Amino acid sequence: MNSESHFIEFSKPFISAAKNVFETMVFTKIETQKPTIKNDDVSRGDISAILGLSGEIEKNGSLSQYKAMLVVSFPYETYFKAASAMLGETYTSYVPDIHDLGGEIVNMIMGNAKRDLKTMGYTSNMAIPSMIEGKNHTIKYPSDTHIVLIPFNSDHGILFMELCYTEEVE
Amino acid sequence: MALKADIKILVVDDMSTMRKIIKNMLTQIGFTNISEADDGATAWPMIESAIKEGRPYEFIVSDWNMPQMSGLDLLKNVRSTAGLEKLPFLMITAEAEQGNVVIAVKAGVSNFIVKPFSAQVLKEKIDKIFK
Repeated sequence: MNSESHFIEFSKPFISAAKNVFETMVFTKIETQKPTIKNDDVSRGDISAILGLSGEIEKNGSLSQYKAMLVVSFPYETYFKAASAMLGETYTSYVPDIHDLGGEIVNMIMGNAKRDLKTMGYTSNMAIPSMIEGKNHTIKYPSDTHIVLIPFNSDHGILFMELCYTEEVE
Repeated sequence: MALKADIKILVVDDMSTMRKIIKNMLTQIGFTNISEADDGATAWPMIESAIKEGRPYEFIVSDWNMPQMSGLDLLKNVRSTAGLEKLPFLMITAEAEQGNVVIAVKAGVSNFIVKPFSAQVLKEKIDKIFK
Protein backbone atom coordinates (compact mmCIF):
# COMPACT_ATOMS: atom_id res chain seq x y z
CA MET A 1 0.00 0.00 0.00
CA ASN A 2 1.17 3.53 -0.70
CA SER A 3 0.64 6.76 1.21
CA GLU A 4 -2.66 7.50 -0.56
CA SER A 5 -4.19 4.10 0.25
CA HIS A 6 -2.94 4.49 3.84
CA PHE A 7 -4.78 7.83 3.92
CA ILE A 8 -8.09 6.14 3.00
CA GLU A 9 -7.81 3.56 5.78
CA PHE A 10 -6.48 6.24 8.16
CA SER A 11 -9.62 8.38 7.58
CA LYS A 12 -12.22 5.76 8.47
CA PRO A 13 -11.81 5.76 12.30
CA PHE A 14 -12.28 9.54 12.34
CA ILE A 15 -15.69 9.31 10.67
CA SER A 16 -17.02 6.68 13.08
CA ALA A 17 -15.50 8.58 16.05
CA ALA A 18 -17.17 11.83 14.90
CA LYS A 19 -20.53 10.06 14.65
CA ASN A 20 -20.12 8.70 18.18
CA VAL A 21 -19.06 12.06 19.66
CA PHE A 22 -21.85 14.07 18.01
CA GLU A 23 -24.55 11.57 18.88
CA THR A 24 -23.49 11.20 22.53
CA MET A 25 -22.49 14.73 23.51
CA VAL A 26 -23.87 17.11 20.87
CA PHE A 27 -27.25 15.33 20.76
CA THR A 28 -27.46 15.00 16.98
CA LYS A 29 -26.80 12.30 14.44
CA ILE A 30 -24.46 13.39 11.66
CA GLU A 31 -24.86 12.24 8.10
CA THR A 32 -21.75 11.99 5.92
CA GLN A 33 -21.90 13.81 2.59
CA LYS A 34 -19.62 13.17 -0.40
CA PRO A 35 -15.94 13.73 0.47
CA THR A 36 -13.87 15.88 -1.89
CA ILE A 37 -10.19 16.79 -2.21
CA LYS A 38 -9.58 20.32 -1.00
CA ASN A 39 -7.07 22.38 -2.95
CA ASP A 40 -7.07 25.65 -1.02
CA ASP A 41 -6.53 26.75 2.58
CA VAL A 42 -9.78 28.66 3.19
CA SER A 43 -12.03 27.17 5.86
CA ARG A 44 -15.56 26.21 4.81
CA GLY A 45 -16.80 27.25 8.26
CA ASP A 46 -16.48 30.35 10.48
CA ILE A 47 -15.04 28.58 13.54
CA SER A 48 -12.43 25.84 13.18
CA ALA A 49 -11.05 23.45 15.76
CA ILE A 50 -7.66 22.06 14.78
CA LEU A 51 -5.65 19.16 16.18
CA GLY A 52 -2.28 17.96 14.97
CA LEU A 53 -1.20 14.35 15.15
CA SER A 54 2.03 12.53 14.45
CA GLY A 55 3.36 9.05 14.88
CA GLU A 56 4.61 5.91 13.20
CA ILE A 57 2.97 3.34 11.00
CA GLU A 58 4.29 -0.17 10.67
CA LYS A 59 3.10 -2.14 7.63
CA ASN A 60 4.66 -5.35 6.33
CA GLY A 61 7.85 -4.84 8.28
CA SER A 62 8.54 -1.29 7.10
CA LEU A 63 8.30 1.67 9.40
CA SER A 64 7.17 5.14 8.27
CA GLN A 65 6.66 8.41 10.09
CA TYR A 66 3.40 10.19 9.46
CA LYS A 67 1.95 13.62 10.16
CA ALA A 68 -1.75 14.34 10.13
CA MET A 69 -4.22 17.03 11.05
CA LEU A 70 -7.87 16.91 12.01
CA VAL A 71 -10.02 20.01 11.51
CA VAL A 72 -13.70 20.42 12.31
CA SER A 73 -15.16 23.67 10.95
CA PHE A 74 -18.57 25.07 11.83
CA PRO A 75 -20.62 27.91 10.35
CA TYR A 76 -21.46 30.27 13.25
CA GLU A 77 -25.09 29.12 13.36
CA THR A 78 -24.11 25.44 13.64
CA TYR A 79 -21.52 26.16 16.34
CA PHE A 80 -23.97 28.15 18.47
CA LYS A 81 -26.67 25.48 18.16
CA ALA A 82 -24.18 22.71 18.99
CA ALA A 83 -22.90 24.69 22.01
CA SER A 84 -26.46 25.33 23.18
CA ALA A 85 -27.26 21.61 22.95
CA MET A 86 -24.08 20.56 24.76
CA LEU A 87 -24.18 23.13 27.56
CA GLY A 88 -27.92 23.47 28.07
CA GLU A 89 -27.96 27.25 27.54
CA THR A 90 -28.73 29.39 24.50
CA TYR A 91 -25.72 30.92 22.74
CA THR A 92 -26.00 33.36 19.84
CA SER A 93 -22.46 34.75 19.74
CA TYR A 94 -18.89 33.48 20.13
CA VAL A 95 -18.54 34.25 23.84
CA PRO A 96 -15.58 33.01 25.96
CA ASP A 97 -17.79 30.32 27.56
CA ILE A 98 -17.83 28.41 24.29
CA HIS A 99 -14.35 29.16 22.92
CA ASP A 100 -12.91 25.76 23.82
CA LEU A 101 -15.97 23.70 22.89
CA GLY A 102 -14.73 22.93 19.36
CA GLY A 103 -11.36 21.93 20.81
CA GLU A 104 -13.07 19.52 23.16
CA ILE A 105 -14.99 18.00 20.23
CA VAL A 106 -11.84 17.37 18.13
CA ASN A 107 -10.08 16.08 21.24
CA MET A 108 -12.81 13.49 21.78
CA ILE A 109 -12.89 12.51 18.09
CA MET A 110 -9.11 12.09 18.04
CA GLY A 111 -9.07 10.16 21.32
CA ASN A 112 -11.65 7.72 20.01
CA ALA A 113 -10.00 7.34 16.60
CA LYS A 114 -6.63 6.70 18.27
CA ARG A 115 -7.80 3.36 19.66
CA ASP A 116 -8.84 2.09 16.21
CA LEU A 117 -5.70 3.50 14.58
CA LYS A 118 -3.60 1.53 17.05
CA THR A 119 -5.22 -1.74 15.96
CA MET A 120 -4.38 -0.77 12.36
CA GLY A 121 -0.67 -0.32 13.15
CA TYR A 122 -0.53 3.43 13.80
CA THR A 123 0.99 4.85 16.96
CA SER A 124 -0.12 8.42 17.56
CA ASN A 125 0.77 11.47 19.64
CA MET A 126 -1.89 14.13 19.95
CA ALA A 127 -1.11 17.84 20.12
CA ILE A 128 -3.19 20.41 22.02
CA PRO A 129 -6.24 21.60 20.04
CA SER A 130 -6.39 25.19 18.79
CA MET A 131 -9.27 27.33 17.57
CA ILE A 132 -9.55 29.86 14.71
CA GLU A 133 -12.58 32.12 14.30
CA GLY A 134 -13.65 34.54 11.56
CA LYS A 135 -15.30 34.60 8.14
CA ASN A 136 -13.09 33.06 5.42
CA HIS A 137 -10.23 32.32 7.81
CA THR A 138 -7.40 30.21 6.47
CA ILE A 139 -5.85 27.05 7.90
CA LYS A 140 -2.14 26.27 7.84
CA TYR A 141 -1.73 22.67 6.76
CA PRO A 142 1.50 20.67 6.98
CA SER A 143 3.35 20.97 3.63
CA ASP A 144 2.92 18.32 0.90
CA THR A 145 -0.27 16.87 2.30
CA HIS A 146 -3.51 15.85 0.66
CA ILE A 147 -6.59 17.35 2.31
CA VAL A 148 -9.90 15.52 2.32
CA LEU A 149 -13.01 17.58 3.06
CA ILE A 150 -16.00 15.68 4.44
CA PRO A 151 -19.24 17.64 4.94
CA PHE A 152 -21.70 16.40 7.58
CA ASN A 153 -25.37 17.28 7.89
CA SER A 154 -26.70 17.48 11.46
CA ASP A 155 -29.80 18.68 13.30
CA HIS A 156 -27.79 21.80 14.20
CA GLY A 157 -26.80 22.51 10.57
CA ILE A 158 -23.93 21.62 8.26
CA LEU A 159 -20.35 21.22 9.48
CA PHE A 160 -17.10 20.12 7.86
CA MET A 161 -14.40 17.68 8.84
CA GLU A 162 -11.02 17.94 7.16
CA LEU A 163 -8.23 15.45 7.37
CA CYS A 164 -4.77 15.73 5.95
CA TYR A 165 -2.06 13.11 6.01
CA THR A 166 1.50 12.64 4.82
CA GLU A 167 4.12 9.99 5.49
CA GLU A 168 7.83 9.60 5.08
CA VAL A 169 9.54 6.21 4.77
CA GLU A 170 12.59 5.83 7.02
CA MET B 1 -30.91 8.54 44.30
CA ALA B 2 -29.52 6.40 47.13
CA LEU B 3 -26.52 8.73 47.65
CA LYS B 4 -26.85 11.98 49.60
CA ALA B 5 -27.55 14.78 47.14
CA ASP B 6 -25.15 17.13 48.94
CA ILE B 7 -22.00 15.01 48.95
CA LYS B 8 -19.06 17.34 48.33
CA ILE B 9 -17.85 16.86 44.74
CA LEU B 10 -14.83 18.37 42.95
CA VAL B 11 -14.83 18.43 39.13
CA VAL B 12 -11.35 18.90 37.63
CA ASP B 13 -10.88 19.67 33.93
CA ASP B 14 -8.79 22.24 32.05
CA MET B 15 -11.54 22.75 29.45
CA SER B 16 -14.27 25.03 30.82
CA THR B 17 -16.91 23.56 28.50
CA MET B 18 -16.24 20.05 29.75
CA ARG B 19 -16.41 21.20 33.39
CA LYS B 20 -19.77 22.75 32.62
CA ILE B 21 -21.02 19.60 30.85
CA ILE B 22 -19.96 17.38 33.77
CA LYS B 23 -21.51 19.78 36.32
CA ASN B 24 -24.75 19.82 34.30
CA MET B 25 -24.80 16.02 34.22
CA LEU B 26 -24.13 15.74 37.97
CA THR B 27 -26.91 18.26 38.64
CA GLN B 28 -29.21 16.28 36.35
CA ILE B 29 -28.38 13.12 38.34
CA GLY B 30 -29.37 15.01 41.51
CA PHE B 31 -26.14 16.29 43.10
CA THR B 32 -26.13 19.80 44.55
CA ASN B 33 -22.70 20.48 46.10
CA ILE B 34 -20.28 20.71 43.18
CA SER B 35 -17.04 22.73 43.02
CA GLU B 36 -14.65 22.96 40.11
CA ALA B 37 -10.93 23.31 39.41
CA ASP B 38 -9.20 24.03 36.09
CA ASP B 39 -6.17 21.76 36.60
CA GLY B 40 -4.79 19.10 38.95
CA ALA B 41 -2.42 21.81 40.24
CA THR B 42 -5.43 23.95 41.20
CA ALA B 43 -7.39 21.01 42.60
CA TRP B 44 -4.70 19.68 44.94
CA PRO B 45 -4.53 22.76 47.25
CA MET B 46 -8.35 22.82 47.29
CA ILE B 47 -8.38 19.19 48.42
CA GLU B 48 -5.76 19.92 51.11
CA SER B 49 -7.62 23.01 52.38
CA ALA B 50 -10.91 21.12 52.54
CA ILE B 51 -9.23 18.49 54.76
CA LYS B 52 -7.81 21.20 57.07
CA GLU B 53 -11.23 22.83 57.31
CA GLY B 54 -12.71 19.47 58.33
CA ARG B 55 -14.99 19.36 55.30
CA PRO B 56 -13.10 17.12 52.87
CA TYR B 57 -14.27 16.37 49.35
CA GLU B 58 -16.18 13.12 49.17
CA PHE B 59 -15.89 12.49 45.44
CA ILE B 60 -13.39 13.64 42.77
CA VAL B 61 -14.24 13.62 39.04
CA SER B 62 -11.08 14.43 37.09
CA ASP B 63 -9.92 14.66 33.50
CA TRP B 64 -6.71 12.77 32.70
CA ASN B 65 -4.92 15.17 30.33
CA MET B 66 -4.28 18.57 31.89
CA PRO B 67 -1.33 20.91 31.24
CA GLN B 68 0.17 21.39 34.71
CA MET B 69 -0.79 18.41 36.85
CA SER B 70 -2.43 15.45 35.11
CA GLY B 71 -5.38 13.57 36.55
CA LEU B 72 -3.06 10.61 37.08
CA ASP B 73 -0.64 12.67 39.19
CA LEU B 74 -3.56 14.15 41.12
CA LEU B 75 -4.81 10.61 41.79
CA LYS B 76 -1.33 9.54 42.98
CA ASN B 77 -1.21 12.54 45.36
CA VAL B 78 -4.64 11.67 46.70
CA ARG B 79 -3.82 8.00 47.22
CA SER B 80 -0.55 8.77 49.00
CA THR B 81 -2.26 11.09 51.51
CA ALA B 82 -3.38 9.68 54.84
CA GLY B 83 -7.15 9.53 55.01
CA LEU B 84 -7.66 9.78 51.23
CA GLU B 85 -6.64 6.23 50.34
CA LYS B 86 -10.26 5.35 49.58
CA LEU B 87 -11.61 8.73 48.42
CA PRO B 88 -13.87 7.91 45.41
CA PHE B 89 -12.02 9.10 42.30
CA LEU B 90 -13.54 8.90 38.80
CA MET B 91 -11.07 9.47 35.96
CA ILE B 92 -12.26 10.86 32.63
CA THR B 93 -10.22 10.59 29.47
CA ALA B 94 -10.59 11.22 25.75
CA GLU B 95 -8.23 8.39 24.93
CA ALA B 96 -9.91 5.04 24.61
CA GLU B 97 -6.77 2.92 24.82
CA GLN B 98 -6.75 -0.12 27.07
CA GLY B 99 -3.27 0.78 28.36
CA ASN B 100 -4.66 3.87 30.08
CA VAL B 101 -7.20 1.82 32.03
CA VAL B 102 -4.45 -0.45 33.36
CA ILE B 103 -2.30 2.52 34.43
CA ALA B 104 -5.23 4.20 36.20
CA VAL B 105 -6.30 0.98 37.95
CA LYS B 106 -2.74 0.41 39.19
CA ALA B 107 -2.75 3.98 40.58
CA GLY B 108 -5.93 3.21 42.51
CA VAL B 109 -8.68 4.82 40.43
CA SER B 110 -12.23 4.01 41.60
CA ASN B 111 -13.66 3.94 38.08
CA PHE B 112 -12.89 5.14 34.58
CA ILE B 113 -14.97 6.81 31.89
CA VAL B 114 -14.06 7.45 28.25
CA LYS B 115 -15.37 10.53 26.43
CA PRO B 116 -17.86 10.89 24.86
CA PHE B 117 -20.32 9.77 27.55
CA SER B 118 -23.93 10.43 28.51
CA ALA B 119 -25.40 11.42 31.89
CA GLN B 120 -26.77 7.87 32.12
CA VAL B 121 -23.29 6.34 31.72
CA LEU B 122 -21.91 8.78 34.33
CA LYS B 123 -24.70 7.79 36.74
CA GLU B 124 -23.96 4.07 36.20
CA LYS B 125 -20.27 4.62 36.97
CA ILE B 126 -21.10 6.61 40.11
CA ASP B 127 -23.57 3.93 41.25
CA LYS B 128 -20.82 1.29 40.87
CA ILE B 129 -18.34 3.38 42.86
CA PHE B 130 -20.71 4.02 45.77
CA LYS B 131 -22.60 0.70 45.89
